[in-house]
Amino acid sequence: MSAELNMKIETRLEELNRVFDAVRKFGEQESWPSETLFMIDLALEELTLNTMNYGHDGGIHEIEIALKSEPDAITIEIIDDGRPFDPLHDAPKPQVGAAIEDRPVGGLGVHLVRTMMDEMSYRREGDKNHITLVTRKVQ
Amino acid sequence: MAISTSREGQTLIVKTEDRIDGANAREFQVDLEAAIDPNDRGLVLDLEQLSYVSSAGLRVILLTAKTLRKQNAKLAVCSLSDSVREVFEISGFDKIIPVHDNQAEAAAALAD
Repeated sequence: MSAELNMKIETRLEELNRVFDAVRKFGEQESWPSETLFMIDLALEELTLNTMNYGHDGGIHEIEIALKSEPDAITIEIIDDGRPFDPLHDAPKPQVGAAIEDRPVGGLGVHLVRTMMDEMSYRREGDKNHITLVTRKVQ
Repeated sequence: MAISTSREGQTLIVKTEDRIDGANAREFQVDLEAAIDPNDRGLVLDLEQLSYVSSAGLRVILLTAKTLRKQNAKLAVCSLSDSVREVFEISGFDKIIPVHDNQAEAAAALAD
């Protein structure tokens, strides 16, 4: 059995809550444990917020989100028409060993997602960024 | 997002609600900054109710740690869920902010 959730959001911060609501309902329907829901919310928030904050030079754009829930894996695909951005190579490396006063306050989002998800890949197709994420921690 | 605060001596205790995400982190930051008194010597962030935190929330916690350091005050967190603890560990926050099992332990450690 597999189930899908597809949605389109605009590059506005308020859209995050619509994503969280939809993912929560989908996760309930799919009986995800709370840790899985946490990870999916985190991946969607970090990557869509990156696009909202840095992807365009203004204006409202669209981000496509597709979730596929299977018994042994959940796959997330995020598609946006922002400037080319490969989070695996272009994101700043966080300084997770630095002391409080020296630590920069950003750069953690992509690091968290990369560490928590089992697979992360990026491709540029036409004028769009495609990010695919997979977790096998479904049970 | 709303926080609830109490004091034990010069230690401020702040309980968060269930989510600190990109949509409400700014509000959390404003509420937290307003709650901190310049005379506070310690802050315990009680995360018992916190079921979700993203990098936007971690950012506010790190900024708060920096603010407190400037006034020679200490920050501790307590009562983390497994997922929140994992996020803390991946971020290296557990190395710079003491993590305690419960509020009493955290408050006692700051009072030392």
